[in-house]
Amino acid sequence: MLEAQGIVKAFGGFRAVDGADFHLAEGEIVGLIGPNGAGKSTFFNCIAGELQPTAGRILFQGRDITTAPPEEHARLGLARTWQVPAVFEEMTVRENVMVGAFLRHGHRQEAMRRADEMLAFTGLSPLAAARAGSLGTPARKRLEIARALATEPQLLLLDEALAGLTPAEVQAAIELVRRIHARGITLVIVEHVMEVILTLAQRAVVFHQGRVIAEGAPRDVVEEPAVIEAYLGHSLKRRSAGA
Amino acid sequence: MSGGGMAMTASRGAWGRGVAVLGVLMVLALAALLPFALQDVFQQRIAALVLLAAISASAWNLIGGYAGQVSIGHAVFFGVGAYSSLLGYTLFEWPPIAGAPIGILISLVFATLIGLPTFRLRGHYFSMATIAAAELVRILVVNWPLVGGAVGLMGPAVPRSALDLSFTSPRPYYWIFLGVLAVLLLLTYQMSRSRMGFYLRAIKGQERAARGLGVPVQRYKYYALLLSAGFTSLAGSLYAMMVGFVDPDSGFGILISVRMVIIAALGGAGTLFGPLAGAIILVPLEEWTNAAFGGGGTGITYVVYGFVIMLISRFAPGGLAEIWRRLRAAGRRHA
Amino acid sequence: MILAQLVLNGLLVGAVYALFSSGLTLIWGMMNVVNFAHGDFVMLAMYVAFFAATLLGWGPAAFVPLAAMALFLLGVLVYLMLVRHVMRGPMLAQILSTFGLALVLRYAALWAFSANFVSLPEDLTGEVVTRGGLRLEPSRVLAGIAALLVTLGLHLLLTRTALGSRLLAVAEDRTAAMLVGIRPDPMQALAWGIGAACTGIAGGLIALFFYVAPSVGESLVLIAFVVVCLGGFGSVPGALVAGLAIGVIEALSAFWVGAAFKDVVVYALFLGALWFRPQGLLGKA
Repeated sequence: MLEAQGIVKAFGGFRAVDGADFHLAEGEIVGLIGPNGAGKSTFFNCIAGELQPTAGRILFQGRDITTAPPEEHARLGLARTWQVPAVFEEMTVRENVMVGAFLRHGHRQEAMRRADEMLAFTGLSPLAAARAGSLGTPARKRLEIARALATEPQLLLLDEALAGLTPAEVQAAIELVRRIHARGITLVIVEHVMEVILTLAQRAVVFHQGRVIAEGAPRDVVEEPAVIEAYLGHSLKRRSAGA
Repeated sequence: MSGGGMAMTASRGAWGRGVAVLGVLMVLALAALLPFALQDVFQQRIAALVLLAAISASAWNLIGGYAGQVSIGHAVFFGVGAYSSLLGYTLFEWPPIAGAPIGILISLVFATLIGLPTFRLRGHYFSMATIAAAELVRILVVNWPLVGGAVGLMGPAVPRSALDLSFTSPRPYYWIFLGVLAVLLLLTYQMSRSRMGFYLRAIKGQERAARGLGVPVQRYKYYALLLSAGFTSLAGSLYAMMVGFVDPDSGFGILISVRMVIIAALGGAGTLFGPLAGAIILVPLEEWTNAAFGGGGTGITYVVYGFVIMLISRFAPGGLAEIWRRLRAAGRRHA
Repeated sequence: MILAQLVLNGLLVGAVYALFSSGLTLIWGMMNVVNFAHGDFVMLAMYVAFFAATLLGWGPAAFVPLAAMALFLLGVLVYLMLVRHVMRGPMLAQILSTFGLALVLRYAALWAFSANFVSLPEDLTGEVVTRGGLRLEPSRVLAGIAALLVTLGLHLLLTRTALGSRLLAVAEDRTAAMLVGIRPDPMQALAWGIGAACTGIAGGLIALFFYVAPSVGESLVLIAFVVVCLGGFGSVPGALVAGLAIGVIEALSAFWVGAAFKDVVVYALFLGALWFRPQGLLGKA
């Protein structure tokens, strides 16, 4: 479904992503993990259309979207959420979701219907008339998801959608992601919360220093020495050398 | 909710809409009768000017309030409308109204020249471009004898037919302006409830997020500007018809742009009736201070305007509408 | 030799344009706020120079630093009382804030000083000299060279000093700067002070050879916009090159299409630049 080949993203002299390949089959849930500064967020934003890769190609369902702007990504069925929720503060929760729904349905009544569907699906119906700016973080993250879902995507990119939530909220969010997946939506998740990756992801892709250093089932990947070393740095090596 | 419950809500909605429409029609009728309640020609004139200012500010509101793209050179469209009307008369002996559609067309072209390049850049560029455009046109007009130069243009001194729309009493103007304002506000209302309205609010709120939801940001900003420019131009044409005179400063001057902005911002940019509220407050106030302190030549009026604009920006960017909302919310909390 | 004379005069004035535009680009680059009152800052500085020269009998060596200090304080004050609060808010608030300030300054000056043009005493800077067929007006030469030096100084301050790197750090990434212990608020206030001081110096220098009036700010701010746009948002070297270029273009235009239309050429250039090269000649988009 999604194919990224040889992605490089350089900021001046610094290469945040230095030759990354990525493939995604329809119906998968893939986790992008890696220590801070590994380039996974940059890579994520390249796929999402927010950043244009310095080199490489991105194909979505066969179409080249390397230089396509975010608007086109959404039109083609690739939606995303934001790490820091960017809800439309002055609009109500329902209106927020309607903005997403309007992509596929030009008329207000139809967009409202679809929005209400998404609100029910994500459990936000009680908050439908509330001003988005009055929401707390968990509700905002949920609203982000509802809004992105309203664009009827085939692929949903979640950017640390479960960070900063209490354990109970994390469980609820995991359940929501499962339900999204059950609807036939492919998911790519960037996450720091390991539990989420281990529970949800079928495949994990590990980034380090701009490159993919490991890939596979989450349980296997977290035990790979290269991955452990990436997270802990060279301290393991140094300690054993000094002993 | 059960099916029966849904039906009840729907019919209550229809009822509510019916009541609202009735209410609007009543207000409109009362407004139309106002000129008869005002005996003084001076007062009638102010009432007409209030409506005219409300039209300009409501037009500005489309791009500045709803879309959040702040134009501070909107006089460029106003002046085009005014000049087109009077040029039609001075060059071809047309009734001034005939120049209005031409003015609108030219304004749309200007809107394209200003908006298309700047809407793909950060917001400030659009604002800067609007001032530059207004100044550019003003200087050109000052130095172009064909369009009146620094002296300006005059309309028909004596009306040749009813089509000239040159009335001695302000009352007919009041009704024309009321009609135009009603149409503009209705259009604005419909727009705000449509996809365009939602998209503009999304763009104004979080442009990046809007893009990610598939909103064609540049295209919608452009649409808003086109609508705004067209109606502003019409306002300019109406002004030219009522006042019968325009010159570079009263057409394209920065003070024209400032008045549009402050009237809209004071009442509440981005709200339907904000500009009208702002006009009702500011226009009579301005007329009164001009009469009391003898003309705006000393500039005090604009010092005050500047302060008001700064205060609005610092404490209540949503204008009186925002203050009203905050008071109500505070009231509810204490209830 | 008319061409050479025009180019020379253009470069000299252009250097002054570059100076106050550098102030604008610094502020804009650092905190994404456009100072619509920038031209009126210059206007105020010109009045400071005027009053210092006519009431106190001071020369440029005294009133230029005075204007710089006065405007520095004004800049910091404007930041602390106004800009700081609207920076993070909606675009409408940001733009209205400095635009409202521009109106206040302009019309307060109009009310206080009347619309009459005034100018500084004639003999502050000495006699006109002719070298190699070129007429060198000492006021313009002094202004141009001083402006050039100060602009270069500003560039060096930003790129070669510890203070400068702190300012640039905040401009680059506010959060990251905070993480390394730089407090953004004082840096931003300082940027406003420096940016305004640039207008102070520029105003004092312009007053040497140009008339002083409340309306001056309106066209100067547009020139600053053109320079910053052409030079690239946030780039002082860009502003320098663009400023010099605009000075020359303006001088040539005044000669070829007349003084009335020279502004039109500059504004048309601005709008054209937005169409074809919004990232400027040297800077980042």
